[in-house]
Amino acid sequence: MTHDEIDIDDPTLHAYVDGQLPPERAAQVADWLLRHPRAAQQVLGWREQRDSLKALHRDWLDEPVPPSLTAALRPPAAKAPRWPRAWAAALLLAVGLGAGVAGGWGGHAWWTGKKEAAEMAAAAAASRAAGRDPSIPEYVRDAAIAHAVYQPEKRHPVEVGADQADHLIQWLSKRLGQPLYAPTLRDYGWKLVGGRLLPAGDDPSTGASPGASAGASARTSVGAALARAQFMYENEAGERFTLYVSTGASSPEAPVAFRLMQRVEGGQTTRSLFWIDGKLAYALSGNFDERRLRVLADLVHARIGMIARASSAPVAP
Amino acid sequence: MPLVLDEALPLLPRLRRHARLLCGDHARADDLLQDTLERAARKGALFHAEAGPMRQDALRNWLLTLMHRLYLNQRRDAREALHDSLDEDDAPQPAIEEPQQRVALRLDLERALAALPAASREILLLVCVEELSYQDAARVLDVPVGTVMSRLSRARERLRLSMDGAAPGRPPLRVVK
Repeated sequence: MTHDEIDIDDPTLHAYVDGQLPPERAAQVADWLLRHPRAAQQVLGWREQRDSLKALHRDWLDEPVPPSLTAALRPPAAKAPRWPRAWAAALLLAVGLGAGVAGGWGGHAWWTGKKEAAEMAAAAAASRAAGRDPSIPEYVRDAAIAHAVYQPEKRHPVEVGADQADHLIQWLSKRLGQPLYAPTLRDYGWKLVGGRLLPAGDDPSTGASPGASAGASARTSVGAALARAQFMYENEAGERFTLYVSTGASSPEAPVAFRLMQRVEGGQTTRSLFWIDGKLAYALSGNFDERRLRVLADLVHARIGMIARASSAPVAP
Repeated sequence: MPLVLDEALPLLPRLRRHARLLCGDHARADDLLQDTLERAARKGALFHAEAGPMRQDALRNWLLTLMHRLYLNQRRDAREALHDSLDEDDAPQPAIEEPQQRVALRLDLERALAALPAASREILLLVCVEELSYQDAARVLDVPVGTVMSRLSRARERLRLSMDGAAPGRPPLRVVK
């Protein structure tokens, strides 16, 4: 290469072959190639390759297109309108169906305060119209979806890892407007992977409705009512469960009770146990049997209670 | 100006050839094209282009985008460990049918093309056969133009090697971005 040479790099040569250079630049390259036989040889090879690819099976272009293909272009007028987020719709539907077979533990009277009975009936009717079981709070469905989405994730299972556990819990507590706890379960073989902030679904019956527990409302701000937290745990075998926390769905007089929801998808059953504790509503989801899930839920519930009591206890004099 | 589905009819033979060269199998190609057209029929409202000479090109590019997205999904479904490789160039190469006795096997172009990694085949078809600009190819594949350039360069070299009878080498070391 001589000192007065312009610089012609590989991408430029490709662009030259593919006719993507402005005419002036193309002329420059053509000129340069005259003095660089090796590069010219390469360019010639690429050009031959391009021409033969372009000529490949021109005969197919004359084949008649079968009517089944042209028919595919017709608008699907008879079909039901598609949801914009088809996967979410499919999950919701599966959740709704699964909820139907799930045994209700202790009914759902505890969930439905008498005061709000009328409101709830209206919301229930709307839910039923949408094909959902009204006795399952919306946040549990959201929890099941969040579990299904993030549990298989290898690269980004969580937003903030357990190595920053303190920061994670502080941050999520701030966003949800309530002190949150991610209990240590190491002694049971489960370690915290981390957690993430999630948006609430947009269903009005989520529990963030104004009627729920006036005065003692868990909502400290609109933003907090819309924020949800998900913690993920993993054991040695690589199994995972998620703990989903929601504000706003709670009422102070609601007793703690575990209820089960399950859904089956692609041969895999995701079960969620959900309960209310104070101002927070929890859902623990995993791909295990009910008994194991129950043990975990008991454990998580007990540990959260212990931490909460310890941190709210008055300082000893 | 919204999409009139009949506008796509003249494009079908070309799209069908594209699908065949992409899949290397006529039945799978027609399935892919059918899925593409069904999706186009559903999403027709999303297609926007001014009336004029560029409209047909824009429609072709849009249909190619739908097709390549479906093709990518198929490959992902086929490959369980999606998370293991986000770089399509790392995808395992389809085995070339190599008769053991013949050392210097000269593949004809069609078979050589079919034996390339999918990402190489895609870029060669879009740039050389459909004659898309690099920018349009980048949009169809939803990758940066720089990726189009590097894939194109690798694809040309791989195709040349397999046409020369040399076994395609190991994929080059992955550039960590």
